[in-house]
Amino acid sequence: MAGAGKRQRLALRIAAIPMGILALSCLYPIFFAVNNSLKTRNDYLLDRFGLALNPTFDNYVRAWSESHLDQYFVNSVIATIGAVILLTVVSSLAGFALAALRFPYRRFLFVVILSTLMIPVQVILVPYMRTMVGLGLINTHIGLILSYTAFFIPFSVYMMTAFYSGLPRELIEAAKIDGAKLLQVWWHVMIPLGMPALITLGILNTLNCWNDILIALLTMQKNRTLMVGISALKGQYSDEIPLFTAGIVIAAAPIVILYVIFQRRIVSGIAVGAVKG
Amino acid sequence: MSRVELQQVSKSFGSTEVVHNVSLAIEEGEFCVFVGPSGCGKSTLLRMIAGLEETSSGDILIGERNVTDEEPSDRGVAMVFQSYALYPHMTVADNMSFGLRMAHRPKAEITEKVARAAGILRLEDYLQRKPAQLSGGQRQRVAIGRAIVRNPKVFLFDEPLSNLDAELRVQMRVEISKLHSVLGNTMIYVTHDQTEALTMADRIVVLRAGRIEQIGTPSGLYEDPDNAFVAGFIGSPRMNFLPASVQPNGRLLAGGVAMESPVTAKLEAGTKLQLGLRPEHLDQVDGIGLEASVEFVEALGATSYVHAKLATGEDVIAERRLHRPKAGDKIALHFAPEAMRLFDSGGARLR
Repeated sequence: MAGAGKRQRLALRIAAIPMGILALSCLYPIFFAVNNSLKTRNDYLLDRFGLALNPTFDNYVRAWSESHLDQYFVNSVIATIGAVILLTVVSSLAGFALAALRFPYRRFLFVVILSTLMIPVQVILVPYMRTMVGLGLINTHIGLILSYTAFFIPFSVYMMTAFYSGLPRELIEAAKIDGAKLLQVWWHVMIPLGMPALITLGILNTLNCWNDILIALLTMQKNRTLMVGISALKGQYSDEIPLFTAGIVIAAAPIVILYVIFQRRIVSGIAVGAVKG
Repeated sequence: MSRVELQQVSKSFGSTEVVHNVSLAIEEGEFCVFVGPSGCGKSTLLRMIAGLEETSSGDILIGERNVTDEEPSDRGVAMVFQSYALYPHMTVADNMSFGLRMAHRPKAEITEKVARAAGILRLEDYLQRKPAQLSGGQRQRVAIGRAIVRNPKVFLFDEPLSNLDAELRVQMRVEISKLHSVLGNTMIYVTHDQTEALTMADRIVVLRAGRIEQIGTPSGLYEDPDNAFVAGFIGSPRMNFLPASVQPNGRLLAGGVAMESPVTAKLEAGTKLQLGLRPEHLDQVDGIGLEASVEFVEALGATSYVHAKLATGEDVIAERRLHRPKAGDKIALHFAPEAMRLFDSGGARLR
């Protein structure tokens, strides 16, 4: 027994080496960005890889105000929060309907929604643009929110349908007998029970919306989002790597903070649907 | 409290008809049990009364009102599910008050009704717990409590005890029967367990393949079954069926023994029939006797079930209270002529 335990521990230690390298390869770019964002331009040119010996927050201040990241940040927050709320509401309603209600062509509808998952965004960019222009939604927050909702809804509906299909039907039937109307069943039963899936979905959609460049680039041509703004920084200040990395840190920070807060929910949320609890 | 009436009710799923033309009247305050093997349509019938399944044809009346096309919540019924169907994210109190909250009843009334139901079901100490923190029996009591607080005209139970262990099942059986005598509401109870049906029901509806086989009181079904299916389904261990034939002199031959026919109907010589004999009726000391050899004996304490083979090769089960034979013993199984139930080859009862 003791021998087996030792051998197992040794195997774990050996396995830890590639894991460690993998972790480092993920962490190093973050370190590189944070470290260089604290250097002045001259410090960076003298020593790219060394530690920032005289850390300064000047780059952050400049990126925030001079490069309009403050305004871009607000745009990103509005678009992300708006789209995530809309996605959550619509996908949980649609998932409830597709999983629990009986209506004609239910399966067909589900297949149509699923099949839109297979279409790459790039393929429909032209008709998408024409529609947006036609509706006058270019350069508006509401346009971007609706676009994100449209592009990310198939996966969201798919996920909520799969999750709600696993819930016992009797719960909905019991609520119906208890006198709850469909929307009340949704609000009092499906939303609380769907919470694990909804939180996971919320986080995934937040990531998708926040990190998006393509859709935002097309929709918000005058009024950029943070990611588009950061990309533009690269072209504008190609010799100002510290300024650029400060922008990257500003852009990544909200997502990292979100991850730290919801770490446990994210891990348990990913297991949702895999194992029925 | 209301009577429930089904008028030629049918239900199809696609092209398969699962309930065929069922007509039935359940009286006010009656405890009616639907019993039958799985797939007989008993749960579907209950769900149709609840409004959870649409009725393909026919009418359902609750308290003289035609509710066939009404929503479940408008029918004045409450239902207890086999899986309890408690809302896992709500406390016991919230589970029980859900229906009242949906109906926007005043807070004081909700509190009072929940307290009353909790009192009846001895759930006072658990009101703030979540369902996951309760045992199976407690969860089922909460499910019943949720039904009680709404003060429904009709209680519907869909195999409510199937998920409980044997001991708890017996206990809950008694509790539900007591509840019925306290509340006096009309109750419809679905089960596949004939013991539950016999012990709880005022009246039993035996279903097979979507049709009613017989409706009657527990003792009526047990003593006087209309057909071989009901005779075999009601009673445990089940009734023994022996092939019998009518002799030229009008007497019956079964198990190698000739006996007088118990029926007044004229029987044609050579007709093939089935003779039904309950295990508990095969313990007489005299009367008609069948020779048998004991194969094995199930001892249940107060009584034992003797599995034996007749001289003619049929397997029979006989109950023995006093003398317990051993495997290999030759015994005579005596029964009174009144214990004989005769069925034709199609299973219909001959009287």
